[in-house]
Amino acid sequence: MKLLIGQILPYITVTLFTLGILYRLGRWAGARIIHNITLSPWLDTNGQVAVRIGSEAFLFRNLFKFDIGLWAGAFLMHFALLNILGGHIVGFGLLGEQFALIPGLGISPELSKEMSDLLGTVFGILLFVALLYLLYRRVAMEKVKLVTKTSDNLWLIYLLVLVGVGNIMRLFHPFHVEYELVRDYIVALALFQPVVNMELLNNGFFLVHYLLVQILLIVFPFSKLMHLFGMFAERWIVNRVYKDPAPGLPNVDVAAARKAGLGLPSGDAVEGGM
Amino acid sequence: MPEYKGMVQPVRATDDEMRKIHIEPVPDEQKPEKALEFLDQIRKKFRSFVMAMESCTKCGQCAENCHTYLGTRDPNNIPTNRAELIRKIYKRYFTLEGRWFGKLVGAEDINLDVIEQWYSYFYQCSQCRRCAHVCPFGIDTCEVTFIGRQLLHWLGITPKLHASVGAAMEKVGNHTGLPKPGIVDTLEFMSEEIMDEFGVEVEFPVDKPESDIMYIPSSADFLLNPYTLMGAGMFFTYIGANWTIPSTVTEAGNFGLLFDQYYTQRGNVMRLLNAAQELGIKKIVWGECGHGWRAAKMYIPSLADRPVRWPITHIHDEIADMIRKNELKLDPNKNSNPVTLHDPCNYVRACGLNENMRTIIRKVTVDFREMSPNGENNFCCGGGSAILFDDPEMYQRRILLSSKKAEQVRATGVGKDGNGILCAPCSICKAQLYPMVEEHELGVEVKGLVDLVGKALVWK
Repeated sequence: MKLLIGQILPYITVTLFTLGILYRLGRWAGARIIHNITLSPWLDTNGQVAVRIGSEAFLFRNLFKFDIGLWAGAFLMHFALLNILGGHIVGFGLLGEQFALIPGLGISPELSKEMSDLLGTVFGILLFVALLYLLYRRVAMEKVKLVTKTSDNLWLIYLLVLVGVGNIMRLFHPFHVEYELVRDYIVALALFQPVVNMELLNNGFFLVHYLLVQILLIVFPFSKLMHLFGMFAERWIVNRVYKDPAPGLPNVDVAAARKAGLGLPSGDAVEGGM
Repeated sequence: MPEYKGMVQPVRATDDEMRKIHIEPVPDEQKPEKALEFLDQIRKKFRSFVMAMESCTKCGQCAENCHTYLGTRDPNNIPTNRAELIRKIYKRYFTLEGRWFGKLVGAEDINLDVIEQWYSYFYQCSQCRRCAHVCPFGIDTCEVTFIGRQLLHWLGITPKLHASVGAAMEKVGNHTGLPKPGIVDTLEFMSEEIMDEFGVEVEFPVDKPESDIMYIPSSADFLLNPYTLMGAGMFFTYIGANWTIPSTVTEAGNFGLLFDQYYTQRGNVMRLLNAAQELGIKKIVWGECGHGWRAAKMYIPSLADRPVRWPITHIHDEIADMIRKNELKLDPNKNSNPVTLHDPCNYVRACGLNENMRTIIRKVTVDFREMSPNGENNFCCGGGSAILFDDPEMYQRRILLSSKKAEQVRATGVGKDGNGILCAPCSICKAQLYPMVEEHELGVEVKGLVDLVGKALVWK
C-alpha cells in the first residue's frame, strides 16, 4: 500500500493531471469564437477587461451582486481553499518559517511556525464549514436542488472527507505531521529516490488524505472541477473590448435644413406637432 | 401538435413548408442518429457552446434570474436545466466523464422524446441573455438554445411562425410578406397621416439611387407600429437627410438568428449588402428591432461574404448623438403622460444602447420613470426570440412569460391613471406587449422611442 500510494501513484497522478488538462484546454481551443457575443455595456480597454475578469474570478462579483448567500459560501470556500493550497506549498517548503523571511517584521522562526499552524487550522475549519454550507444549499434550497445532479453532491462529500482527514491531522496531536517529513518526502520523490521506508508513510491518516488528493487530481481534468480554467475561457468570450462605430450622418446639416424650413408646407406657417 | 407528453410546443411547419426553406425533414426513426451527427459537427465549431456544455457548476444562480422560470416555475425552464437537455446528450456521447459515469453525472442516451423536449423548451427561451449576464462564469444559455434550434431546424422541426417568416424573407425581403407596391402604398398613406396629424410634409423615398443613408425599418412598422416609421420619416426630413428605404430589404429583423444562423440569416445579410451597393449609399441606419439590431451589428461582420464598406448604426445612436450636439429642437411637453422604458434585451445586453435610449427619452418626455431593475439588468418582455405564438396553449404560456415584466411595469406606477406609456423600442417587444398589457391590465399604451421623438420635434 505504501509502495502504491507513496511511491508509484504520484508519478501517474502528475502525468494524468497534466495531460488531462492539456487535452481539455486543447478541446476548448479547437472550437472557435465564431460570432462576437460580448456582453454590453462594453468594456473600452484591456485594462477594464482585466479588472472585470479578475473581479469575477477572484472576488466572485456576479455572485455578490445577485445572490449574497451563495457568494458568502462560495467565496469563503474558495478563499480558504486557496490559502490552504498556498499553505501546503509554502508551509512545507519553508518548514513553517515563511513569515520570518518577511523583512522588517521581526518575526522569529518559532512565532512564524505558530502562525503557520494557526492559519492552517483556521482555514481548514473554515473550508470544512463552507463546504458543509454549500452541501446544505444543494439538499435544502429548492432552486439549487432542482439543478443538482448526484455527482455535484458526491463531489462536496468527497471534499468534506478529504478536508476532514486533513483537519484531524491538524487538530489531534497524535496524528500530527511534521513539516520536515513532508518536505523530505517530496524532495525524494522529485529526485526519483525510493521513499517507501520514510516515516511519513506510517501515518494512516496521511495515507488516506494523500490517496484522496491523488484521485481528485486524476479525475480533475475530466470533471466539473475544470471550471477553474473554464472560468477564464468563458469570460474571454463574453468580456472583451468592443468599440462602437462613430455616429454622425453623411451630408447632414441640420441648421441649414431648419433654415430652409424642410418639412413645413410651402409658404404656410403651420404649427409643428400637435 | 400543441402538446407532446405534457409539454407545450408551438405549432410546427409542415414538411412542405420546410422544403420551401430548403430543408428536407428527417424521418422520425432517423432523428436521434441524425441529431447526434449534427451536434458532433457543430460542437467542434462553437467555443461558446463547448464552454456552456463543459464549465457549468450548477450553482443555481440563473434560476431566479430567468423570467421564463419565474413565470412558469417549470424546472426545465431554469437556464442551466434548459441547457442540460442538450448537455446530458453531449456528456453521454462526447465526454469521457459521461461515458464512464453515465447517470451519475447526468448523462443520458438520446431518443425521440429528448428531441421533443428540445423543441418545447428551446422555444420557451427568449434568448435574452440575462442568465449570461448574471452567471459567475458568463455562460450564455442563449448560445445553447441557438444551437438547439439549429439542430431542430436541420431535423425538420421549426415552428410554423419562424418557417413562414424565413420563406417570406427569401421571397420579398421582409417578415410580413409585403411586396414593393404594398410598401410604396403604405408609405404614401403614412405621409398623409403625418400631414393630417402633425402638419408636416414628409416623403418616404423608396429605392432612391445615390442616397447617402439607407434606412432599414422593421417590417412590422408598416402594419403594427406605424408611428415608429412615421417618427423616423419625420426625423430624417427634419435633419434634411438624403435617405432612402430599399424595397428589397424592408426588414430590420432577421429571424435567421433565431432558428437558422446558416442559410436564412446569411441570406438576409447578402440581400442587405446587395441593396447598399446598388443604391450607392454611404451609411446604413437601423430601425427599432432588438434581435435584428443584434443580428446586424454583431453578426454581419462574421456572416458577410465580402468586405462590408458601409458603417452601420442604429437610429437611436444617431438621434442621441444629435441631442448631445444640441442639433434637435425637442418639446418634451408633447409627451406629457407618465412614461417608463422597457429595455429590449438585445439592446442592453448585446448592443450597448443603454445610455443612448436614456439620452433620448429624457429629452422627449416630461415624466420618465425608470423601472427596476433596468438597463442591462432588465427582464425580458417574454416574447424575446419571437416566441410570439398565437395558438391557445402557447398564448397562455406567453402570459406567464410576461408576468415578471407586468410586475415591473406595475411597480413604476405609470399606469395608475390608465394613461401611462410603456416605451418598448423593439418590434418583438411591441408585438408581445400590445396584447400582454391588456392581459395584465397595466393601464399603459405601448410605444416605440422614435414615436416619441417624432412627436416632440419642434419644426419652427
